[in-house]
This record gives sequence, structure tokens and C-alpha cells, in this order.
Amino acid sequence: MSFLSLIGVELKKIQHSKILWILLIPIVLLWIPAVINADLNFDTQLEGISPENNFLVQSFMGFAWFMYPASLVICTVLLNQTERSNRGILKMFSLPISRFKLCLAKFVVLLILAVVQMVMMLTMYFLCAAIASSIQDYQFILSPLIVLKEAGMIYLSSIPMATVYWMLATCIQTPIFSIGIGLATIVPSVLAINTKMWFLYPMCYPFMIITSEMHKMATNLGTFSYKLFPWIPVAMAFTVICLVISCIRFGQVEGR
Amino acid sequence: MSICLEYKKLKRTGFLPAFFGGGLLSAFVPIGNMMFRSEIFVNSPEPALKILFNANWQMMAMLNLFLIVIGACIMYHTEYADNAMQKMDALPIRQSSNFFSKFFILTVSIIAVLAIEAASLAFCIHHWFSLYDEFAIELLKSIGYAAILAVPTLILMTGIASICKNMWISLGVGIICMFVATMIPKTNFILSLFPFALPFQTLWDTESTRIFQFICGVGIETGVFGMAELIYLKVRRKFQ
Repeated sequence: MSFLSLIGVELKKIQHSKILWILLIPIVLLWIPAVINADLNFDTQLEGISPENNFLVQSFMGFAWFMYPASLVICTVLLNQTERSNRGILKMFSLPISRFKLCLAKFVVLLILAVVQMVMMLTMYFLCAAIASSIQDYQFILSPLIVLKEAGMIYLSSIPMATVYWMLATCIQTPIFSIGIGLATIVPSVLAINTKMWFLYPMCYPFMIITSEMHKMATNLGTFSYKLFPWIPVAMAFTVICLVISCIRFGQVEGR
Repeated sequence: MSICLEYKKLKRTGFLPAFFGGGLLSAFVPIGNMMFRSEIFVNSPEPALKILFNANWQMMAMLNLFLIVIGACIMYHTEYADNAMQKMDALPIRQSSNFFSKFFILTVSIIAVLAIEAASLAFCIHHWFSLYDEFAIELLKSIGYAAILAVPTLILMTGIASICKNMWISLGVGIICMFVATMIPKTNFILSLFPFALPFQTLWDTESTRIFQFICGVGIETGVFGMAELIYLKVRRKFQ
């Protein structure tokens, strides 16, 4: 079975899981107050950030800090648990499919779900920026290129985090621990971005990126820059190591 | 009887170690904060407990909420995973007693977590500040208040978990509720009554008249959610 059709099969399995609603609802809830309080964006002259930039960056920060990592954890639960009921996973293992391929296919589905949520976020941004513009009579919509760049950077920087969560989900058989550890790692990311060793903590990457972008836009807040070295090599190492571990561990308990 | 039964079901899920570990983790928050940045806090003129609560409670409350959400999800996950629920239905046990036993166990577990947190706060005061006369009473009051404010979240989350057959949905709903709670401004009284926002409140930044109103709100919410769950279980039984 080719890798692509394996991904297709995995996507089919979660067709009726209602996961899209779980991904969509928080985004809608995030943007409603942003539209209602759009006038507050004009009070940010002190920080030196323009209202339209503030409108974008505030909501993306709220998203990257909590909801986005938490959504990834929820998706790992989905990918892991759909086949536990009625021992579907055992039937998968009895097919002539490589376990590694299966594990990677599930991980790709996790990345696809993250893309879907990011696309929802972008769609809601343009929708809400248009609504806020017409209410406040001020152009809130930024050029799509800038917005796409921000979203793309958050997404790319979240891939190491996704591999860590995927590793937790495959290595720890007891769901309470894999979910608990995953969610608990979200909390200290605010502290982590303020340390020099932030690049050792993959769960803070997306928040680091967006915080740094905000400081670039807000001229009076000072700089909050990050260096690509040693971040990129460390992030890549995290990604590879976590993926390899999860591929090795995937299905080991069931396969015994 | 029912409570013993529910407790036995939890034995192999890692529920107790998870709560113990979560309690230790959130107990470490104030200790870690004092270890690394004690100079900011020690010289402040405010009461020691108030300083500690203001500096750490947001994070601790968030960890407590995570524990509530995951704990409730796991409790019902064991029931739904291999259709154990159907076997439970065949026994001469009411579903509502099942629900309230789970709620009771979750509440007791959270109180245990709060006790660990109280111990860590006491340690912080002993080590970095000085113990004073009313300290024990103040600590008990603050932690007791936190325990009371957690009750609506506990009952609502157990209810959500009992409704959703799949764990990712109950987990997702719980996390979304938490996310909404983090966006609610603490100054807005009506919005602060949202069950998942209540645990973020502390005794220290609430006016004394508000405290009474919050406790009344907690009572009403708990009653409403409890009744709603009873009605839901009755209706579900009819259509099964």
C-alpha cells in the first residue's frame, strides 16, 4: 500500500470523529471578543504598534499560546483512541503494512489537522477583520502575504512540538499520563520564552515566534529577537529523534 | 458501595498517581518561583500569602483545571471504551449514583491536590517569609475558598464526560471551556461566574461582598448542573 493511500485511509477513519468542530469552535470563540473589542486596538499608540497589526497579533498570540498546542494534544488522543475501541488497531497490524509507515501516516494526519486549524484561523481572521473594518470604519485587513507569513511561521515552528506530543502519545500507553504530560507542558511555555535556553523547549517555539513578531511590530516595546542558530539544528534534532522513537515504539505493546 | 466500586475501576488507569504528580507539579510552582526570583517578592509590603497567591495562583489553577478535565475524561473513558457502560446499565445500580460517585471521587482528589498545594505554600512562607499568628487560618480560608469555587467545574466537567462517548470530544470540550475562561476578564463579575473561570479567582483579590456572591453563584450553578445531569440521564435511559 502506498504511503499516500495509507494517509487517505487514516483520514477516512477520522471522518466521523467531529474533530473539525473541536478545532473550529475555539477559533470562533477567540475572534468574537476580538471583533467586539476592536476599538481597543486604537489605544496601543504607547507600544507603537499600529491598530491593524495589533488586531492580528493579539489573537494569534492567544491562539499560539494555549489553544494550538492543546488542539494538537487532543488530535493525538483522537488518532490514538479511534482504533482502540473494538481492537481496530490489532486488525491494522495484521495487515501487510509496515508499522513505521502506519505511524508516519498517522503523524502526517496530525500535521494535516494542524494545517486545517491554521486555515480556519486565517479564514476567520479575514472574515473578522472585514467585519471590524466596517464597524470601526478603519482598514484592519493586512495584506494576505504578511498574514500568511505569520501563520506559516507559527505552523512550521510547531512541527517539533507536534512530534513531541506524538511521541508522548505512542510511548505512554496510559492515556491519563500522555494527555496530562502533554497539557502540563503548555503551562511553562510563558516562562520558557524568557530564558536563554528557550530553544531546548519545543513547546514554546510557536509562542516565541509570535511574541518576537509582536515586538518587531511594536516599536516601543524593545526587541525580543531570536537567533536561528542553535535553534534550527536543535529543533530538527528534536523532530527526528521524537519521530524515530515514536516509530519504534508504535504498536510494540499490541504487537507482542 | 458505589463509591468503592468507582474507586476500584480507577485503580489501573493511573488516576491516583496522575493526581499526586499533578499536585506535586503545581506545588512546585510557588517553590520554584521563590527559588529563582525571591528578591522580587520578599521585599513587598503586602501579606505573604497575598504575594504568593498573586504570583502563582493563575498557573496553579490552570494545572488544577487540567487535572479536573483529564480526570473526568478518564473516569468515563473506562466506562465507554469497551462498552462497560452497557454492563453497568444491566446491574441494579442507578446511573445517577454512578455519576455522583464519580463526582465525589474527583472532588476528593482535587481537595487532596489543594492540600498538597497548601503544604507547599506553607513551606514557602516558613522558608522565605516568617510565620505569623493568623497564617494557618488565612491559608485554610484561601484554600477552602478555592475548593468551593472548583465545585461547579467539577460537576460540569463530570457531566460533559458522561455525555460524550469519545474521549477526544469530552477532552476537547473541556479544553475549549478552559480556553474561554482564560479570555474572560477577572473584573467582570457575571462572566467570572462561568464555571471554568471560577477556579482562577482568589480570596485575596475579591472584595468581601463579592465573596458571598461568588459562593451563592457556586451553590446555584452546582444545583443547576446536578439537576440537568439527572434529567439528561433519565432522558437518555428512555431512548437507549
